[in-house]
Amino acid sequence: MTTPTPMLLLRASELAGRPVVTLSGDLVAEIKDVVFDRAGGRIAGFTLRNPGLFSRARKDSLPWLGVHGVGRDAVMVPDETVLTAASELAPRKQARDADVLENRVLTDNGRDLGRVVDVVLHSGASLDVVGYEVEASEALGTAGRHVFIPLPDTVAVSGENLIVPAAATEFVSEDLAGFGAAVGAFRTRLREGAS
Amino acid sequence: MLFSQARKRDVVNTATATRVARVDGFVVLPGPPRVALLRLGKVSGAGTLLAWEDVRGFGPDAVTVATDAVIRPPRDGLEQRAEDNDLEILGKRILTERGMELGSITDVDFDPETGAVTTLLTKTETIAGQRMIGLGGYAVVVSA
Repeated sequence: MTTPTPMLLLRASELAGRPVVTLSGDLVAEIKDVVFDRAGGRIAGFTLRNPGLFSRARKDSLPWLGVHGVGRDAVMVPDETVLTAASELAPRKQARDADVLENRVLTDNGRDLGRVVDVVLHSGASLDVVGYEVEASEALGTAGRHVFIPLPDTVAVSGENLIVPAAATEFVSEDLAGFGAAVGAFRTRLREGAS
Repeated sequence: MLFSQARKRDVVNTATATRVARVDGFVVLPGPPRVALLRLGKVSGAGTLLAWEDVRGFGPDAVTVATDAVIRPPRDGLEQRAEDNDLEILGKRILTERGMELGSITDVDFDPETGAVTTLLTKTETIAGQRMIGLGGYAVVVSA
């Protein structure tokens, strides 16, 4: 019997330091950073560091295809052979361009919603970017507070400005718990609007 | 029978009727999960491992062997890790294959006839032995 996997939303920053464990139960690394796929609103993979207090960055990385599962307590991999050279995951410049922290989120009708402080991921069959946590601007009426803004399912997470449809402002959440439903409702609206 | 009940049991040589060692621990291997080796203490020779196949009987009062010669040193890397206690299952954290921790193992129930591991116990959960996928230095991994 398999129990359905609960919808798991997590912040990209929470993944840093999470252990990478093989299905045979051995610790192989810790997550250093998340590398975003430029095109599709997905995760390309993770850079790694050695476990422990004085951990050093490693030259290998974990591509998303090598991940078996991402949970609250560990990132699971089948075995160590899935690790590849870090340069294969993303060239250094591309990895830097894909860093969205501090970028501003603009609606497609030109309103500045705030500054990105984290990226919200949904862990399922793949690890998808579903929203941004932003420090809200005046435009949202919750200025200065951190809120969650949903994203369409195919958005690029790179570039100087992050453009979201204006309708996203109707689906802003103040807590991560209620955000999953907001993402679903927002994406349904976009699909209905497009048809 | 629980590991906690079976530990400290004497290992007796049935040919000489003498006590030759004491059970210190259990080495569990997955697929299907079973007690593959016993880790022994109070041994007279250099070896501290006893393969499950070499156990004649796992009784309520003693574990019996036909000869001392079956108590031996590790034969490969895996057995070396077992002897070094890296694979000790008691106290080890349990992770699901989806990366969720379920607590740490407080005891293990096994069948003394076959060595099959039937149940993993934590403070709050009982987990069917068949769910075990792997056992390494960091965790016991179970199917989600």
